[in-house]
Amino acid sequence: MARIELRNVSKVWDNVVALEPTNLSVADGEFVAVLGPSGCGKSTTLFILAGIYAPSKGEVLFDDQVVNDVEPRDRNIGIVFQSYALYPHMNIRDNIRFPLKFKKTEKEEAMRLVEESAKLVHIEEFLDRKPSQLSGGQQQRVALARALVKEPQLLLLDEPLSNLDATLRMSMRSEIKTLQQRLKITTILVTHDQLEAITMADRIICMSRGKIEQIGSPKDLYENPSSLFVASFIGAPPINLLEGVASQEKLNLNKGSIILNHAHQGKLTLGIRPENIKITKDIQGIKSRVGLVEPMGRETLYVLETTIGELRALVPESAPQWGQGEDIFCQFEKESCLFFDTETEKLVSNLRLVAIE
Amino acid sequence: MTGKTQTNLQTDQEYWNLRARKSKRARWRQQSILIGFLILASIPVLLPYFWLFTISFSARTGGVESFVLWRACAILLPAVFIGGAVQMFIPSRRHRLDAYFAIIVVALIALVWSIGPYLHLENYRFLWNPNIVEELKGMSGAGGDQFPWVWSAFWNSLIFACVQSIVVLYVSTLAGYYISRFSFPGRSTFLQSLLVLHAFPAMTLVIPIFLIMFWVGLIDTITGVVLVVVTLELPFSIFLMKGFFDSVSWDIEMSAIVDGASRRQAFVKVVLPQVKGGMLAIGILAFIKGWEEYVFVRTLLFEKSNWMMSLYLFWVSEDIMGVDYGIVAAVGVFYVLPSLLLYLFFQKYIVQLNIGGVKG
Ligand SMILES: Nc1ncnc2c1ncn2[C@@H]1O[C@H](COP(=O)(O)OP(=O)(O)OP(=O)(O)O)[C@@H](O)[C@H]1O
Ligand SMILES: [Mg+2]
Repeated sequence: MARIELRNVSKVWDNVVALEPTNLSVADGEFVAVLGPSGCGKSTTLFILAGIYAPSKGEVLFDDQVVNDVEPRDRNIGIVFQSYALYPHMNIRDNIRFPLKFKKTEKEEAMRLVEESAKLVHIEEFLDRKPSQLSGGQQQRVALARALVKEPQLLLLDEPLSNLDATLRMSMRSEIKTLQQRLKITTILVTHDQLEAITMADRIICMSRGKIEQIGSPKDLYENPSSLFVASFIGAPPINLLEGVASQEKLNLNKGSIILNHAHQGKLTLGIRPENIKITKDIQGIKSRVGLVEPMGRETLYVLETTIGELRALVPESAPQWGQGEDIFCQFEKESCLFFDTETEKLVSNLRLVAIE
Repeated sequence: MTGKTQTNLQTDQEYWNLRARKSKRARWRQQSILIGFLILASIPVLLPYFWLFTISFSARTGGVESFVLWRACAILLPAVFIGGAVQMFIPSRRHRLDAYFAIIVVALIALVWSIGPYLHLENYRFLWNPNIVEELKGMSGAGGDQFPWVWSAFWNSLIFACVQSIVVLYVSTLAGYYISRFSFPGRSTFLQSLLVLHAFPAMTLVIPIFLIMFWVGLIDTITGVVLVVVTLELPFSIFLMKGFFDSVSWDIEMSAIVDGASRRQAFVKVVLPQVKGGMLAIGILAFIKGWEEYVFVRTLLFEKSNWMMSLYLFWVSEDIMGVDYGIVAAVGVFYVLPSLLLYLFFQKYIVQLNIGGVKG
């Protein structure tokens, strides 16, 4: 229902830079997740979009119109705050109805809409309670209902699922997702939970320290991270990172070394995801010994002591399993090896693994 | 083998029983000390009021009949102590209530029997007699001037206290909100000066304020006194109000604004309801402060038609002291009653003042 764009938007508090100059565009009806660690400026970005914070510099555009000077209430936005921000003195019904009061919706119509959106998030039995009489998860759902009730053109969600238990979180994830697809509301979800971002969003914006690190589909971010930060932030269990020094075509890692497809000088970091490591008994690859074994349900995580450093490998249940202390060899899937410049932390995209020495 | 565990169990049992008994005894001791202390500490506070109250209903022109006071004490003190003992020794709540009821009934019967015949309402005749002083001292004694009726002083006090507390409440709410929510140059200096201003005793300002009022032409007007008292009271009220607003989260307000409210609507519909309790407390304290005000009422008002309750009490005791304690006591009771009732009704909110908190 709305196309959103940020042009060189930045936010500076007295001397803290909360958001570096940022460019971003979100298509009509798209579901975008903003993913990043605590304090990286996710909420700040959201509040700038909502008009609660004025950007220090730059322009915010809705449907190609600059809205910097448009009041929050005229932007037709639904927002769920990290702290829910329910009105403590009103009961749930009045809380959800609050936005409709300003839209001059008829009373009966308003009541119908309240019931409807309460049903949507399964809180219809709590309508007459006060927010303080609800659990954290229930409050969060009330906040969601309140944000949806006015049929906003843009839905902003600041960690809307952080207080739910695992099952409820999963069902809410898919519910929000189907809801979004049905209503086609442009939605921006802020989260630090990568699973949430990966399962719900069409695109993920990965942020760190006030900067956008990378924008892309979940698959993109997982397979082609543009920086060390993205590579290490996305994926569980996390990617293996090994630091080394390259000279010519050889990358020295710890006591071992690997061969690159072409020459490089300087410090490099090798990144390889646990599931891209294969463990065999064949005398081929890197000599290693099995350390800790962590069964994780359908997969097993092995901590391997190798000549190039400690590695974690994820082995599916169907593959052969290994015992602690066993001597084995591990092999890398060559095309999934990533090389980052240790200094700039950026991906060096033309490097490939050729062989293990 | 079994025998051994058996004895172990037994000693364990004994050990825990011992512990339980010990902590029970300690709790009992603590509670009795607390109750004893509370009774002892409240006697010196309550006694003067009790005295005032009894005198006002028992004294007759020409002297104080203190035996009524002693008899009342002789009945009430044991009643209070027995009440304390009941609280301590009777564990069941229902039995305790029964015991209290019995004590109260017995004490009431004893009171009616022993001092009932001596009680009367004579001393309260100032309420329906417009010129009590004249009646007491004769036309000549009153100096010709009409001594005002108590109701005129009462209304003056009431209007003064109401207007004053409304102004304090209104200004401190808006100012407190502004200071809590907006940053402006000199904000922290302003906050500090609010506290410093509160630290000066108002007494030191009597003469300069008198002169200012005189020059401005507000001397001997209730408006003038309202202005002065409001000014002196505002700094601290603003400071308290700011504390209340600080504890209302930003998110709630921002949420209202995104939901479609204007800043003003968000303030009225979402923020104000959260500080309702604090506002009530500040309003009531301001009212009581106004009701009790004496210093500036005494220095800035001369005309008898402008008298307030505090002045009325002062002049009644000045003019007829030594003639009739009873009337002075009765005026005192009449004066105390409104603020006492207010305290009793709104206790809950006044206690909140501690919670609203004093934050930087
Ligand atoms: N009002 C403010 N004044 C000064 N600094 C602020 C203010 N609000 C936020 N910041 C700073 O801006 C940075 C970004 O904050 P932001 O709230 O956007 O983080 P976030 O990504 O939402 O983190 P979280 O996941 O913990 O909510 C933080 O370093 C924070 O300290
Ligand atoms: Mg946040």
